[in-house]
Amino acid sequence: MTSYNPISGVLIDDVALTIDELARACAVERTWIRQHVEDGFLSCTVMLLVEDANDEPHWKFASRELVRARKLIAFERDFDANPELAALLVDLLEEIAELKRRL
Amino acid sequence: MEFKDYYKTLGVDKTADDAAIKKAYRKLARKYHPDVSKERDAETRMKEINEAREVLSDVEKRAAYDSLGSGHQGGENFNPPPGWDAGYEFSGRGGGGGSGRGPEDFSDFFSSIFGNAGRRDGNSRRSAQSMQGEDHHAKVVIDLADAYTGSARVITLRAAKLDDAGRVVNEERTLNVKIPKGVKAGQHIRLAGQGSAGFGGGAAGDLFLEMNFTADQRYRVDGRDVTQIVPITPWEAMLGAAIEVETPSGHVQVKVPSNSQTSRKLRLKGRGIPGVSPGDLYLELTVVLPSADTDKSRELYAAMAREMDFNPRQMPGTPAGTP
Repeated sequence: MTSYNPISGVLIDDVALTIDELARACAVERTWIRQHVEDGFLSCTVMLLVEDANDEPHWKFASRELVRARKLIAFERDFDANPELAALLVDLLEEIAELKRRL
Repeated sequence: MEFKDYYKTLGVDKTADDAAIKKAYRKLARKYHPDVSKERDAETRMKEINEAREVLSDVEKRAAYDSLGSGHQGGENFNPPPGWDAGYEFSGRGGGGGSGRGPEDFSDFFSSIFGNAGRRDGNSRRSAQSMQGEDHHAKVVIDLADAYTGSARVITLRAAKLDDAGRVVNEERTLNVKIPKGVKAGQHIRLAGQGSAGFGGGAAGDLFLEMNFTADQRYRVDGRDVTQIVPITPWEAMLGAAIEVETPSGHVQVKVPSNSQTSRKLRLKGRGIPGVSPGDLYLELTVVLPSADTDKSRELYAAMAREMDFNPRQMPGTPAGTP
């Protein structure tokens, strides 16, 4: 099926992802996201200081975190890596990418 | 459809035990993981390797595959016989964090045999329940200029879906996507409803497009700030000049201050990637020396050598010259 009229999408960052949207985009459960935020492996913006009825914080995630979360998942899954090791690897990859960009 | 020889993919014998399969998988994953591999076909190979492990490390799937695969060679044309899977039950391995894999990560061969039920998260074949379709991901490469003006890109995607008979088939589709002005590298565009179809009346998933810029030696991009390398002549650098520069947002005339050296940056405020807070464009000057390949040019260089008291190795703040 071909769509000839250009489809417009939402630019992530203009509208950040909720924890459920990020979990679904990464095909993981929200507990995985929550645990990785609490452990400091993923970053988010806390939109409000109040907690909702489910006692869940109002977290918002930028595009960068979607990329980072998918890399973390891939390393944890493909190498049976524990989250700390996967996060270290992703940190190093991000640093290499930054250094290459500056070259 | 090609038959997939999963044993060959992992380079193990058909009698390999779990430990041997795991060891072979890890060795190949180190070589082909797309985040670390320099191999050109890393992403494709990693999908094949993951798929092979998915089947061979699961007792139920491996038994079904072995019964189906005897007598077939990798790459040969193959169609599973009707009802071949009667008697096999593929339990999903839910719980945990899920697999993080989508339907795009599996081959036609895998999908036709195991369907979505074969995947570790086991989220499929629950057609009785209403469930939202899975989100898909794809990368799109655009020119930096497209981020300044916005553009449209035609992208082709393949995804598994259920046909009317409930079989898993791979469908190819083409989308014409509007790239909004001001997009940054690494940023995503979410296209609602363009992922997998939902089940049992559930909504379709979304498609996430990750934007990347075409590699271009002239530019370095940092968020919305852009640095452009601008070659200039020695006399433009030393005497100062008004020069024309082709930037991603069009022609600009720039004044090069006198006594400029290589690496000097001229900032053009607000001429980076557009946005609510537009980035800046930095023109990084690079002095290019003309070759001394004619009598006249050699004479001019010789005159400079005679007339100018200049030794860059003895300038204040520069390292001592090499012997």
